Order: sequence, then C-alpha cells, then structure tokens
Amino acid sequence: MTTLPVRPPLARSSDRVIAGVCSGLAVHMGWPVKNVRLGMVLASFAGGAGLVFYAWLWIMVPTADEAARRTARRPASPIAPAVSQPAPAQAPDAGSPEGAARADADGGGGPSGPPWFRVQGMRYGKEILLGCGLLLVAGIMVAQLLGVDVSLGTLIPAAAVLGGASIAWMQLDETRRAGLVDKTKADQAGGWGRLAAGLALVVAGVLVMVSGSGSWEQTWLALLASVAVLGGVVLVLLPWALKFWRDLEAERAGRIRETERAEIAAHLHDSVLQTLALIQRRAGNEHDVVRLARAQERELRGWLFQDPGRESGQLSDRIKAVAGEVEDLLGHAVEVVTVGDAAMDEAHEALVQASREAMLNASRHGGGTVSVYLEASDGQAEIFIKDRGPGFELGDVPADRLGVRESIIGRMKRHGGSATILSTGEGTEVRLRVPAAADHAEGKS
Amino acid sequence: MNTAQGPGTRPANSARVVIVDDHAIFRSGLKADLDASIQVVGEAATVEQAIAVIAQQRPDVVLLDVHLPGGLGGGGREVIAGSAALLSSTRFLALSVSDAAEDVVAVIRAGARGYVTKTISGAEITDAVFRVAGGDAVFSPRLAGFVLDAFGTAPADIADDELDKLSARELEVMRLIARGYSYKEVAKELFISIKTVETHVSAVLRKLQLSSRHELTKWAAERRLL
Repeated sequence: MTTLPVRPPLARSSDRVIAGVCSGLAVHMGWPVKNVRLGMVLASFAGGAGLVFYAWLWIMVPTADEAARRTARRPASPIAPAVSQPAPAQAPDAGSPEGAARADADGGGGPSGPPWFRVQGMRYGKEILLGCGLLLVAGIMVAQLLGVDVSLGTLIPAAAVLGGASIAWMQLDETRRAGLVDKTKADQAGGWGRLAAGLALVVAGVLVMVSGSGSWEQTWLALLASVAVLGGVVLVLLPWALKFWRDLEAERAGRIRETERAEIAAHLHDSVLQTLALIQRRAGNEHDVVRLARAQERELRGWLFQDPGRESGQLSDRIKAVAGEVEDLLGHAVEVVTVGDAAMDEAHEALVQASREAMLNASRHGGGTVSVYLEASDGQAEIFIKDRGPGFELGDVPADRLGVRESIIGRMKRHGGSATILSTGEGTEVRLRVPAAADHAEGKS
Repeated sequence: MNTAQGPGTRPANSARVVIVDDHAIFRSGLKADLDASIQVVGEAATVEQAIAVIAQQRPDVVLLDVHLPGGLGGGGREVIAGSAALLSSTRFLALSVSDAAEDVVAVIRAGARGYVTKTISGAEITDAVFRVAGGDAVFSPRLAGFVLDAFGTAPADIADDELDKLSARELEVMRLIARGYSYKEVAKELFISIKTVETHVSAVLRKLQLSSRHELTKWAAERRLL
C-alpha cells in the first residue's frame, strides 16, 4: 500500500546563516541545504529574484518555534469555535459614496444597517464615524462663514474620501480576525474587495479634489510623487506591521489556550482526581475499583469525544445512559454499539425501558460483559442485548416473576413492537424491535 | 493484498510480537497478559523507535497504539507507512483507548488488519494476535458498528460500485459481530464455516481500506464518536 510522504511544515529553522529561510525550505522540500543556498545565491544574480524571494519568505514564514506554538494540539473544547463568528461575505457597494457618508453622519448607524458599514467589532467605531461626520459639517459651516463658496464639486470628493476611509478602517478589524482563525477563501476575498474599494474611493476623491485646483500636468506629477512616497513608506513599515500582527496573534492564541487549560484542569479535578482518590481508599475491593474506573471512563469519554453541537436526547444517547446506569448498579461492563439514530417518541421510550430491564437481567444472570447493539433507520429501531450466561427457559420462569414477561415482552407488545428471547446454554440474546411510527400506529388501531 | 489465507497457513503455536505504546505501564501489563505462546521480541514508545524495532525484528504481528509521540505527529498511521515494505510479512493490529472514528479510519486505511480497544482481555488479545498473524482481520463489535454506520445498512445493488457497499452476506456478518457474536457463533448462526466468516470479514476490511467513497472520510471527520 502506498501512502503520500508527509511533508514537514514550512518554518524558518534555527540552523541559520541569515534568517534560516534556506534550511527551512530545504527541510520542507526534502532537498540538501547546500543546494538550496547555492540556488538562492545564483537566483540573486538573476535580477535580484533570489533576494526578493528570500526577503518575502523571511517576512511570511514563521520561525520554527512560532510555528510549533501555533500548531500545538488543542484539546477538544467547546471554547475554541466561540472565538470568532464568521463575518458575512458581501461585495462592497461603492455606488453612492455620498449617501453612505450621509448615512454615517446621520449617526443612527444601528445594527440593522447594511453590513458594509456595520461596526460591531470595532470599539467606538460608531462614535468615530459620527465625529467625522460632525467635523465635516462643522468645517463646511466655518468655510461658509468665512465667505468661501462651498460647492458640490468639493463636497462630493470629500465625502468619497471619508466613505472610502471608513470602509477600509472597518475592514482592519475583520481582516485581523480572519487571519487568526482559518476562514474560507471567499470570506477573505470579500474582505480584500472591500479594502480595495475603500482605497479606490479615497484615491479618486483626492484626485478629483486636487485636479480642481490646478492643471492636469501638475496633478499627474503630484500623484506620481505621492504614490512613490507611499510605496516607500509601505516597503519600510510592512515588515514591522506584519511582525506586530503576528505577535498579537500568538499572544491571542496563547490566551485562548490558557483558558482551555484552566477549564480542562477544573474538569479533571472534579472528576478524575476525585475518582482516583476513591480508588485508593477502596483498593482492597476489586469490584468497587472496577466499577469506579468504568464509570469514570464513561464520564471522561463523554466529555472528550461528545460533539457539543449534536442534538442530545436521541435514542442512542438514552440507551447509552441506561447502559451506564446498569453498569453502575451491577458492576459488569455493558458495551453499547449504535448504528444510526432516531428522535425519541412514546414507543422508543418503551423500548428504552424494556432494554433497561433486559440489560439488568443480562448483567445479573449473565455475569460478564453484556453486548448491546442498537440499529435505527427510518423510524424503525432494533436492539439486541446479549450475554454469555448459562441461559434460561422462559417456561421455567415462575408466573409471579414479572421481569421478563411484563417489563419486556408485554411492554413491547403494548407499544406495537415485538420482543424475542433466544436462550441457549452459551448465552441469552433479547431482541427488541419497534417498527416505523406509521406502522405501529396502524398496529394499535 | 492477499487477504484470504486460511487457518492452515497460520503459525501453529507461536507468534513473534512487537508492542508499540508510549505508556510503559501498559506495555508491561500487556506483556503479562499475553499467552505464553506469544513471544514479545521488542518494544517501542515512539514512532522512530517503532519503525527501527520493526525493521530490525521483522515480527509477525505489531500491537500498535494509535496515538504515539514522535515522528511528524501521525502516530500509528505513520509507523505503518514507515514500515510499508514489510506489510506482506508483518501484520499490524491497532490498539487504542480512543473511540474517535477518524482514528479508526486512519489506521485501518493505512493498512492495519484490525482494531481493538485496550480494555480487551488477555485471552481475547492472544486470539486476535493469532488471527491477525494468519492474515485474517479482527473486528471488534465497535469497529463492526462503525463499518455499518459508514457504509449504510442497505445491501449493495448491482449498479453500485462494488467497493462502496457491503453485500447482503457481509452485512449479516457485520451485524452479528456488532451484536457481540464471536466468529464461531457467527458461523453457527449463518450455517457457514468459520473460514467463510473470515473471508467475509477480510472482504469488508478490504473495502474499508480501498473504498474511494468520499463519504467515508467525510463521515469520519464529522462524527467524533462511534
């Protein structure tokens, strides 16, 4: 059987000449380090491609221990998914910047507004927007007082700049969250789209404003110069920003893990430690020790593996709970295997009660592990309860003993189901069956 | 993969075994529990140790814990992948405390011949070791239940891809195993020989390993509990 080789994740290693990029790359690709380094140097002569690639990896690839911290296995806990709510992916609506700015300035900005200017994640976001709007209005008033004729020609670009900037700012918060948890590409694409729309709005606004007061030639020159300066600033600040962002992320992840750890510790203390203490005190009584260990195992398993999002109170949950009770009561293991599931109804309740009785009998008389198998599909449910005891003859059971006759067979019949008991010298198997809901309604009428 | 070897080819009364588990207490407990006819020729606690010991000792059977430290974090699956060259002579029996479906699927699909839980008794594990050494598959009731859940409880139509569904007979066998029947009891119940039961179980194991049915993996990922 062939399996794909598993590649170690790409991370800058501590075995470094400059920043550990080459050795990290070598480990990831499975090539010798020397070749990678030589290749990088050669590529640097090809128009600096190697240098650019190296710098890019330096920025983008985390160091080995950063990566290890990030991928540290998280225990199953209901906390993790609650960290972030997915933001709705929505294309930016750049149709009417003026309207947007006005809507913002109106200050209502309730949570029912369109999502592209929703400000739920950002603290004081609403206040900042409102303040900007008011400042704008005040500025216009002051200008008019000073005798300047404020025309729509300057108002519209200014509104565009403000609208664009606010869209981009709001994006900041959501992009950061998107980076922390693994989100779908579509969401991120929507975020980048909104960011780009915001930027375009700002640039267009500035352009219109500047071009109103000078020749086109000057405008183009100014635009070129400012783009060059901006590019330079971005180039210098980007690594710092990225580093800062990554630190923040690491710290956040650390805090989440700390909370999870605390919850796990609390749970273990309440359950496992208490049981271990009990086991030490009852070390002499084998029966008690086994029973305690089984009960604790069941509890811990439920806590570790149960999916918190799953609907509870289904038939399989009830059967498992009943099996646990029987186990606690009589001390013999009851192994439950379930296939499929069904929502509880009246007949299923009878099924659960009858199987409880059957499990009790099997555990009491079988004296070993009891196997329980539940198969539920399309409303029909079947349960098999098997033990390896000496077996019994139904006719030999005294008439005043109601366990088998009433609690199992009678109960199943009353609810439109059936019960069959097969007993040989090597064990007993009780088979209980409830037909689909429509069937047993017919059966009763 | 040659699966349907009869009991005739089974090493009659001894088996060389390597135990791979990161808990020393469990290893020594298991060693004490195993029958005298089983010779423990090596032990390992990590993925790297396991691959080295298995390559060196070439045992008949490896008792393999699903969760192991070391390597690239792949646990038992990685040990089987690392010993792929020996799969024709060395069989792997997965042992685990985990009930998680994705663990079971991963290790069976990597090539393990069976999956049993760690609470199994010494006699049962001895029986399982000999069965696996003979080329048969070992299904616990839980694994059988998992197979039924993953493949569905309806028998295959002729139109279906052969690997995606169980035949009516295979379904019957799986149901009985899930109900707690031993292979012998299954054979008696269905009026077939034990060898035929083993053939059916091996066929189911093959389907579990080779089925490209995407629901299988998706199912295992979605459901965290058997």
